[in-house]
Amino acid sequence: MLNSPEKILPRVSPLRDIAIQGRFGASRTAPGVTFTVRHPLSIISVIARAGQGSATAAALKGYNAQWAGPDQYFVLAENLGEGALYRDLKAKLAGVASVTDQSHGRVVIRMSGPRARAVLAKGTPVDLHPDQFPVGKSALTQMAHVGVHLTRAADDAYDLSVFRGFSESFWEWMTEQAEEYGYQVI
Amino acid sequence: MLIPCPHCGTRPVEEFTFLGDASVTRPTTNDPSSMEQWYDYVYLRNNPRGRFDEYAHHSGGCRSWLVVTRNTETHEVYGAVTARDYTRAKGARA
Amino acid sequence: MSSYRLDKGGLIDRTTELSFSFDGKPFTGHAGDTLASALMANGMTLMGRSFKYHRPRGVITAGAAEPNALVELREGGRKEANTRATMIELYDGLTARSQNRWPSLNFDVGAVTSLASSIFVAGFYYKTFMWPKSFWEKIYEPLIRRAAGLGTASRLPDPDKYEKAYAHCDLLVIGSGPAGLMAALAAARSGQRVVLADEGARLGGSLLHEREEIDGKSGLDWAAGVLAELASLPTVTLMPRTTVMGWFDGNIFGAVERVNDHVAVPDPYEPRQRYWRIIAKRAVLAAGAEERPVAFGGNDVPGVMLASAMRSYANRYGVAAGRSVAVFANNDSAYRTARDLKAQGVHVEVIVDSRMDASADSAGVPVIRGQQVTDVSGRKGVTGIELSNGTHIDCEALAMSGGWSPIVNLACHRGQKPHWDKSLLAFLPPDNGPGFTVAGSAAGKMLLSECLADGAAKGAAGGKPVAVPNCRDEGFAIAPLWWVKESHGKAFIDYQNDATAKDLPLAAREGYRDVELAKRYTTTGMATDQGKLGNINAIAILAEATGRSMDEVGTTTFRPFYTPVSFGAFAGPFTGHHFQPVRKTPLHEWAEEQGAVFVETGLWMRSSWFPQDGEDWLASASREVLATRNGVGICDVSTLGKIDVQGKDAGAFLDKLYCNTFSTLAVGKARYGLMLREDGIVYDDGTTSRLADDHYVMTTTTANAAKVMAQMEFAHQALFPELDVTYVSVTEQWAQMAVAGPKSRATLQKIVDGLELNDQTAPYMAALEITVMGGVPARLFRLSFSGEHAYELAVPADYGNMVARAVCQAGEEFGIVPYGVEALSIMRIEKGHVAGGELNGTTTAGDLGLGKMVSAKKDFIGRMMAQREGLMDPNRQCVVGIRPVDPTDRIRSGAHLLKRDDTPSMANDQGYVTSVAWSPMLDMWIGLALLANGRARHGEVVQVWDGLRGARVMGEICDPMHFDKENKRLHA
Repeated sequence: MLNSPEKILPRVSPLRDIAIQGRFGASRTAPGVTFTVRHPLSIISVIARAGQGSATAAALKGYNAQWAGPDQYFVLAENLGEGALYRDLKAKLAGVASVTDQSHGRVVIRMSGPRARAVLAKGTPVDLHPDQFPVGKSALTQMAHVGVHLTRAADDAYDLSVFRGFSESFWEWMTEQAEEYGYQVI
Repeated sequence: MLIPCPHCGTRPVEEFTFLGDASVTRPTTNDPSSMEQWYDYVYLRNNPRGRFDEYAHHSGGCRSWLVVTRNTETHEVYGAVTARDYTRAKGARA
Repeated sequence: MSSYRLDKGGLIDRTTELSFSFDGKPFTGHAGDTLASALMANGMTLMGRSFKYHRPRGVITAGAAEPNALVELREGGRKEANTRATMIELYDGLTARSQNRWPSLNFDVGAVTSLASSIFVAGFYYKTFMWPKSFWEKIYEPLIRRAAGLGTASRLPDPDKYEKAYAHCDLLVIGSGPAGLMAALAAARSGQRVVLADEGARLGGSLLHEREEIDGKSGLDWAAGVLAELASLPTVTLMPRTTVMGWFDGNIFGAVERVNDHVAVPDPYEPRQRYWRIIAKRAVLAAGAEERPVAFGGNDVPGVMLASAMRSYANRYGVAAGRSVAVFANNDSAYRTARDLKAQGVHVEVIVDSRMDASADSAGVPVIRGQQVTDVSGRKGVTGIELSNGTHIDCEALAMSGGWSPIVNLACHRGQKPHWDKSLLAFLPPDNGPGFTVAGSAAGKMLLSECLADGAAKGAAGGKPVAVPNCRDEGFAIAPLWWVKESHGKAFIDYQNDATAKDLPLAAREGYRDVELAKRYTTTGMATDQGKLGNINAIAILAEATGRSMDEVGTTTFRPFYTPVSFGAFAGPFTGHHFQPVRKTPLHEWAEEQGAVFVETGLWMRSSWFPQDGEDWLASASREVLATRNGVGICDVSTLGKIDVQGKDAGAFLDKLYCNTFSTLAVGKARYGLMLREDGIVYDDGTTSRLADDHYVMTTTTANAAKVMAQMEFAHQALFPELDVTYVSVTEQWAQMAVAGPKSRATLQKIVDGLELNDQTAPYMAALEITVMGGVPARLFRLSFSGEHAYELAVPADYGNMVARAVCQAGEEFGIVPYGVEALSIMRIEKGHVAGGELNGTTTAGDLGLGKMVSAKKDFIGRMMAQREGLMDPNRQCVVGIRPVDPTDRIRSGAHLLKRDDTPSMANDQGYVTSVAWSPMLDMWIGLALLANGRARHGEVVQVWDGLRGARVMGEICDPMHFDKENKRLHA
């Protein structure tokens, strides 16, 4: 029990009362964009120690490791229990990389649908053409003055990871940008 | 203006924070006789016309410190390297 | 006046009738009309009054360069001044008003300025309103502002949305005429990502209003075919209603898409306008060429317009400029104008060609060669023209053409200058390299076949060529004619600013020979149209007046924006509550439950105080302090910057960052650290804890969190890259709460798992990794900012609110209170702890009384410069405490300290008050101050002079620690 406190205290997303499910914006056509808050997630920051870049990359094979800067990664997993992924990686990467739990510090919003790319273009200068930004690629950028870790999850699906404290403000801004295409929150 | 970040690819200048002349080198001595060197390091910056190496922080991206080489007259950007590589190369030359 | 709508032709939908109003009068037009064409069709040639002389004005152009037909569009918060009637798409319910007239457009009192026009010559602003000086603000300026002016801004908030967006492409084509279409086609067929942008509502450029044949089809049909092919390609983006208005470094283009300017009220989910930043690997400017007026008397009378504009109104909009028209030109544009008008059923009275030797087909219209129009008769509309030989010809409108000016603006936005071509009589664009080329008539290609071929070549840019279609060319021949000097009436160069041809030689005579000076002296080219029509004529007249060539005079500087851009487009969505993002702490919900009043600290919302029963901030904060000092309080400190530092060299790295030493810190302990700038001034402070040999967690002040992170990144990457260290912000991962007061230990004991809290297990400055509430991972630091026995408890953010509630429940029996930053600030001032007011970018460690922290044994940022004589001077201002001699007096922050008997004056300044608080413990106002040689002056009575608020009280200098000097409570 000690290792899975969410059984005692459920993790509460900062968007619990903000990301209300439903259909919003223009309704002439099927929703152009679908939003989902991916919560709870395990998000672990991994930063290679000096000279350990390749060793770190090799050790992360088999994990969902997203590029997050030079020799840096966010390793994501659907919630494995409080601290479980952190402890796993910390043990595996001892002396090779610094491992820091960020599961509570970041909020990941999945945006998908045929107009997802058009909505992102209202915020980020990153070229999202599939040749430039293929599935699996991540970028660090800014949208509406908020730092965003952006990952292409599928052809028309993106994960946007932001600092938790900005998540409400960011959510309001981003959903407003999607209004013209109509959006749903599920 | 576009900056070719070695880590992130080409990004607009709005994502960067500039800190000026990168050619300065922090003195390695704390000997009192080195005070002149320290003054130069802390206060004196070149502001040339033409080619210029300049510190830039990719604060809106990967958060790496870069050295961007650009032309102050035409705004042409010649390239960017990481500050880490730039410092090491400077050390190797010294 | 009866209708001027022609029986046939035009790209208007005659089956759709749109109602609109101008100056309150109802009119109708058709879909496809502009406001200008619809007004003309209704016989309304008078559309505005000029800026200075209030002369009646009609349209001159059919496009973006229009200087005269400026109107106020829409009503209320949607009102927009100075919009060009030639660019406004007609929609049902459109309302517009004329500008710069009183009481009405038809009868304008201001027109009397025309009678006194001899004083309104070049430089009149500088010459006329010089003295007496006292008249300027009260009389001259209001007078000028009322008389000269354009539309008025709405004072209501704009109810519509604006957006920003980025686009990326291999090729941006600006302009969708023959050259632009061919350029786009060439690149698109080879698979490139192409953006084709055009300011017009409909793509096609000049093909929409010229009668030309391409590939055996009408130009219009040919364009439709090309556009259909482009639209079918997924790599092509067509952007009508999009003005590319600036070319910036890195081949980034600014563009404004008028998404919903053509409807009365935008869809609530759509923006009115969208500001694009287009990042293009290559761009082709195919903006076409602007026809120039000729300067002759009355060239501004409503009904006088550019020949191409008159063709455009006839061909595209099915509108005649008059029942009978005359044409006056120095080039072959005259003949196609006469032919087109005739074909559309407009009677063309005569062609006046300034050249003797022209030989184009006039379609039977009489041609008078070698003559010039000297004057136009008529005031609110053309009634006839006078020629240089004295002939008078009756007509209702006059088409004029002085030649063609390539639209090179964008090609010059980054500082390059165009060059003069003597045979084309045109400034041609500079060579900007392969990333930005110019095609078609914008590059001086005056024939249609040249435009098509040039566009194809520039679009392909050495890649796969595309077949160039066949066409028949109109002739292009021209002879110089800028100014008909025999004119009697005013010959205008800059219509919008009422600058006349005579103004330029006058400016030159008065010494303003430089084109930039002449521009400002005469105001030529300074209006909202930025001289699109008049500048080349002005340069030619200036060249002649000063005996210089066109290149020697040169153009004025071309700057963004090509046409005016609304503020809304620049602001985009970042207005109102989106002006900046809001940052909430993980304890925000808990704080709201507790009734917190929030304060913005940077982007953070912090709980400031927690009022009960109508308390004001001071009563609330005082109660919070007393309850904390007498029992226990809980405060959200999650906003402190938290940085996870790991690696073999983590300690060595911290030793470089801080002036004191961290490599010697024991695991499980915290230490206060002071960070200097390289110039020796204090940068930031905070506690850093060691969790393992190679693992520290440091804290920064709320305000400096981001700056400290950037400084660390710089120090490591640029200064000490050899260190094996990593660092990452964990500010948002942890909800952190200070639990302070004599009952803090008893409170926390109830939720801590399996650990008895005492001075052995959790001594002062302990940093422990524990669990609380049966397994929630937590970090417990025994730290105190309040001076009380206190802890900071950090838990993963998603648990924050629940843990804070649990702490409150645990402390209930001790009367626990939530306290905010106001109470926090009071307690730190009572204890003399420095914060933002003292860490103000001027103070050294010594000034703050922290000189002993500065290590002499190691190198660190700021070490050398901190030793400078000026920073070691014992007479420097340093931190002291201050309290009023009369405890009922109030000391205010910012007040200056003077010696007891000195005259209040900044000359006698000794220092100033940096922080103040009402101390509920001491029952008086207390403060911290910076005072020269302050540490030696404890006990001295000084004047506390608040010149700004006009207050002066006596204060006593004391130790900064106002309360519990022995720190007994800390260790209780």
